[in-house]
Amino acid sequence: MSIWLIMGLGLLLELLLLIRGLRARLIQRYYFFYIYIASVTFVTGAAMLLNGTAPALYDRWYWPLQLGTLITGYGILLEILNHVLAPYPGAERFARFSGIGAFGAILCFALVSPLIAPHWSPGTIIEFERDLRSVQAIFICSLLAVVFYYGIGIGRNMNGMIMGYGLYILTSLFSLTIRSYAGKPLDQIWLIQPLSFNISLIIWLIALWSYCPNPAPDHMIHLEEDYGALVARTKGVMGAIRAYIGKAART
Amino acid sequence: MISLIFFLFVGVLLFLSLFLLARRNTRPEGSSSALVEARQALKTLQAGLLPLDLVKRVFAERDWEYVRAETPRSIHELFMAERKAIALLWLTEVRSQIRSLQRFHRGAARHYARLNPRLEVELAMSFAALTGACMALQALVYIAGPYAAPRMVSVVANVAARACEISQQSLSFLDTARLGALGGQPTDAATL
Repeated sequence: MSIWLIMGLGLLLELLLLIRGLRARLIQRYYFFYIYIASVTFVTGAAMLLNGTAPALYDRWYWPLQLGTLITGYGILLEILNHVLAPYPGAERFARFSGIGAFGAILCFALVSPLIAPHWSPGTIIEFERDLRSVQAIFICSLLAVVFYYGIGIGRNMNGMIMGYGLYILTSLFSLTIRSYAGKPLDQIWLIQPLSFNISLIIWLIALWSYCPNPAPDHMIHLEEDYGALVARTKGVMGAIRAYIGKAART
Repeated sequence: MISLIFFLFVGVLLFLSLFLLARRNTRPEGSSSALVEARQALKTLQAGLLPLDLVKRVFAERDWEYVRAETPRSIHELFMAERKAIALLWLTEVRSQIRSLQRFHRGAARHYARLNPRLEVELAMSFAALTGACMALQALVYIAGPYAAPRMVSVVANVAARACEISQQSLSFLDTARLGALGGQPTDAATL
């Protein structure tokens, strides 16, 4: 009973988020995010409908639909990458470099896992979802590492998008890891996933109430030297400081 | 068990990243105004705090010899404590200059479309090593005192001066001619 209450509340929040996105004209700006929300709304609605009318169909379609939302979830990561790092080509290149690595891992995993386990059991599905969530978690961590390292400012919209999705991935990862390890005795922990998704929806609803762009640097700095010269100068400077400090340590 | 530890580790990493994001200031670093502020701070340091002669005078061992010969023991301790504090402050300034250089590099590098990720990782590691070396020196001064290694004082002074000079070179593009292009306010340039 409680799960249907959580899902019902989730459906309401999802619809509210879509309506607000439409009214605030955020759908045009963050279309990957709203494609994800629309797909989740469809899946939630379909799950509630099928469970009431055709439970056999619900059992059959539950995992494929979940997998669909999991894949559209990568759209949020793409949205974050596009919006947060767009004014910083260097940082974007760095993030893409690590992002491509993460995506390659997902692709390899998706291609190889059906060959290894052609007949999925609920246990392997949990492990499969856990693995995909962990790739998303690694992607967010590497993206945030780039954001922190290069001191890139993030606006309210993007901040909320990252926090909301990050929180959902975090709770999913913990729940799926514990379930895959402990098995049946701790199976009820799965309830934490839809519950945390509702919290994420509330975060998104607040953060995406209106458009709030990312703070850009006051003025774009265009140096006349190229990147190689910048790196060479920084390295030279560091070498000089290191030499002095080394000398100091030896005295 | 290994997979459990691995996935929990990834979870903890994500939690820490989100925690840092929640506590973070949204203002971007490396904006032109921040660079102008960096240069102003550098000028103040060079003019008021870091002239080499002044540093040599402050750390002169003759002072310690005089204090030791002419004053009671309680004054010795006070004198040593103060000199130690100054040495530590000096090293803090060196670290601050290194941080300033790193901040400047990151602020500039993120705009280059041809950025080399391998070089960036290499540089980040070098900066970390340099900051670590500075911290180790601070620990040495803290434990052994400012006069434990007499030559160290002059070396520290040189390091500080050199670090300032380096930061100044890094910020040299912020000259009067180009400040107008950055801020559109040539009057700001005159204050520098």
